[in-house]
Parts: sequence; structure tokens; C-alpha cells
Amino acid sequence: MAGTTIWKGYIHFGDTNVSVKLHTAVREERIQFHLLHRRDRVRLRQQMVCAYEKQPVPPEEQCKGFEVEDGKYVIVDPAELEQTVPESDRMIEVHEFVKTGQIDPVFLDRLYYLEPDVSDIQGRGFNALVKALKELDVAGICTWTMRKRSYFGALQARGKTLRLSTLRYADEVIPAGSLELQDVPLSEKELKIGSELIEKLTVPFEPGKFENEHQKKLQEMIEKKARGEKIVVLPPRRLKPTESDQLLRALEASLKKAA
Amino acid sequence: MAVQGIWSGTISFGLVAIPVRLVKAIESGHISFRLLHSKDYSPLARRMFCPEEEKMVPSDEIIRGYEIGPDRYILMTDDELESVSPERSRTIEIIEFIDMKEVDPIFYDHPYYLVPSKGGEKAYRLLVEVMHRTKKAGLAKFVLAEREYLVAVTPRDGALALTTLHYSEEVLPEEDPSPKKGKIVTVEQSRVKKSIEHMIGDFDPGKYADERRKKLTHLVATKAKEKAPVEAPVVEEEEGEGPADLVAALEESMRKVKEKR
Repeated sequence: MAGTTIWKGYIHFGDTNVSVKLHTAVREERIQFHLLHRRDRVRLRQQMVCAYEKQPVPPEEQCKGFEVEDGKYVIVDPAELEQTVPESDRMIEVHEFVKTGQIDPVFLDRLYYLEPDVSDIQGRGFNALVKALKELDVAGICTWTMRKRSYFGALQARGKTLRLSTLRYADEVIPAGSLELQDVPLSEKELKIGSELIEKLTVPFEPGKFENEHQKKLQEMIEKKARGEKIVVLPPRRLKPTESDQLLRALEASLKKAA
Repeated sequence: MAVQGIWSGTISFGLVAIPVRLVKAIESGHISFRLLHSKDYSPLARRMFCPEEEKMVPSDEIIRGYEIGPDRYILMTDDELESVSPERSRTIEIIEFIDMKEVDPIFYDHPYYLVPSKGGEKAYRLLVEVMHRTKKAGLAKFVLAEREYLVAVTPRDGALALTTLHYSEEVLPEEDPSPKKGKIVTVEQSRVKKSIEHMIGDFDPGKYADERRKKLTHLVATKAKEKAPVEAPVVEEEEGEGPADLVAALEESMRKVKEKR
């Protein structure tokens, strides 16, 4: 079952318009806990508390401020904020097309499936777009407004379908250079054995074989507790870090084990 | 720049274990506003409130409960939750390596970096270097904040990047959009293709700015010029420290409120 339609609009570039529907592509399900008061097991509620008066503050006494410097705020009222909400014209405007390989995956944020909307007669425009994107191996770089926010994204063909990924803005991605990692010299032998080890441990990617085992074990633990069984508390496993002067030996031993 | 760690533990491959910290790779550019008390412009803090006792509850009195019926819960302590997957809560064990090209981007969730902790610098550098040489990515599972993640560890500009991946059961199947019809008219096809070819460029994300963010920045700047910013009262104890004190103060104030009634 495909996800629900969350938005409708049309893709626009040059003199082409293609009506589409957006569907969610990923659904995460998690075991939910509630926060309770230990003493009486009453479910707790969140409350906003004034840091100065230490008192709960009702919504009508709350306002929004932008911190311009430590402890100093510019107050903005809801009407002013509303004015900054971009207007939605339902248009996914493609500004340019780029080779798909040029998009660093670190920019990919959320992904949606696209489907032709009924107004696209027999999905002709949609199919033509999918085909063209595939043949040229390009993605459309686009912007649009959805749910009061402006988005930047990439339109890509996959199989017979279209996908729209929202992209992170360039200044949101922290460059690796800012981590200021030190360079440590390595011997050619260490690198060679390390590479061999990786090649030995390489397999095809099979996403289907991985499942969320933690979620299952958690469910089992809850059931166990519900039956009144005792839970044995285990400490987390911690590995002893490999000393730098033992690295080569550890690599050699790993390679032997993997063989 | 000292980066704040989200998690610390070890990453292992084969018999090599490297002490590392997980740090963020994404810094959201959203303009965030603080909720303030409109009477005194003091910032507001989020606290948990017991509706039964009508008072704030300090963190050491809070426990998680799994709801099995109306007002019926199975309580879970932090220790119990941590012992669900003890082998994965402090260790990222690379079980296999893959070619990242085989991973459909639909699996990508959120990127982070791993940085070496003291003593792990050399082995860290080795892992970056050999994955770079072999063009491979490590696959591992680990548990962070009570969630088990499937992650891909890749070299990125001399650092180890860690990307959480969705499980395949979370990825919804794609519907074939054109099972019934979908004859492509050749004229239409070549028109669309031509039009795309005219618009081919290079990917440069720096060209695109968040319009909403620009407007908000402008709004705040304009307002700051019009009127001096308000000042929050100085709080004697640092906010955030000792929730117990805050709770005591709250209990006191709540009692006063009640007495007045």
C-alpha cells in the first residue's frame, strides 16, 4: 500500500506543466512510551514555566522572541510571523536540470513519491517527463511552497516513477573540514591489510535482511513485565579500544579470522 | 572548534575497536524563536506537570510507561530499557561492507559524523583511508536513544560520516503510476526532452536560499531597529540546573495559589 496523498500541485519548467500528487515514501513505527509520575503513575503533561517566576504560564501570557544577544529579545507578534509565510501557488518550479551524480546524498532530506494527478490526461506529461529524465540521466532542481514552508528539492526518475526529495540548504551541511581532524601517518602495510580485510568482508547490499530487532526485543520485554516476570538488567557491552601500536596485529588477526 | 557529542562509544570492524563520538553533520538553518512570558519577558522552560497533584515533577520522579489499557501501564526503568540491546548501545559494530552505489537513496535518513576520541586517532585514520581506497561503506546497527538504527559508515573528506538508514519494512512500495494507459506521444516526448536539455546546468546548492528564512531575518532586523529589544530578568539560579529546586519553588507557589482560593 502506497502512502497517503499529502499535497497536490504541478511541476513547471519551460512551457511544460505536469500535475502531480505527493505521497509519503517512508513510514516509521515505534513503540511509544508515556511519561508517568513514579509515585502515583499518573500520566504527566507538559507545561511551560516562567524561568523567573517559576510559575506555569498559560498560553495567553506567552509570546515569541528572537534572541538578538544574551537575554535580549526582539518580540514578534503572530500577525507579523504570518506575513512571512510564503504564498503557495501549488507550483513546483524547476530552475535547472543537473546530472544525477552531481547531487551529494548528504543534501537529500525527505523523499516523496509522485503520482500523476487526474488532470494530467492519461498521465502523458508525467510519462514523458520520467522518460526524458531517465534518458538524459538528470534531476530537476526545484523550489516550491508546501504547508507554509518553502522547499528546495530534486526531482528524479526511478523505474517508471518520479520522486521528489527535499534538499538541505547548502549552509545547513557542516563541512568535514570543520572537525579539524589530525592527520596520522600510516604504513603501507597497515593500509594494504586494512583494504584486504574490507574486500573480504564486502557483500551485496540486501536491505531486506535487516530488521529492527531492538523493537522486537523491547516488545518481548514489555510482555514479560506484563506477565510479572523479572527482568535481568544487563550492562552495555563496551569494547576495549585497539592501541595504536597494536593496530597492525589486530588487522592481521582480523584478516586471518575473515579468511 | 570543539564539537558537542551526541553519543560516545566505539566503532569496530574485524578485531579493531576505535573510540569515537557521534557529532552532527547538519545544522538546521531554521530561525528559531524563544517562548517568553509576556509579563516579564523571561524565557519559558518546558517542565512535566502532574495533573493529579497539580505540581511540577522533577526528572528523578519520572518513569516511562507503556500503555496496556486505560490508565494501565507497564513501567520501564532506564536500566531495563538500556538492557534491551546491551551489545549495541555503546558499540557500532561493522558487520559487513558494501558498495554504497547499491543503496537506493530512499533508504537515507540522517547524516552525522564520527570523530575519534583520545587514543583512537590512528585506527580512525586507517578506517577512513581504507574505505576511501576500496570505495566501500561499512554497515552496522546500533542503538541510540532507545532506537535501533541501521547505519552506513562512509569516508567523507577525510572524516567518517555515519548515515542512518531506513529499514526496508519502513519504505512503502512504489505504485506503478501508469498501469492502464500511458502511451507517450512522441511529439510530446521530444518537446519535453528538448526543453530539459536547454536547462541543464551544474548542481550548486549555494544558489538557493530559504525564502522564509530570509523574510524572518528581515522581519527581526526591522523590528530591532524600530524598538530596543526587551530584556529578560536575571534569574538567580541558572535555568536548567537543579530541577529539584525549581520544583520546590513551584510547589511553594502552587501552595500559595491554593491558599488564596
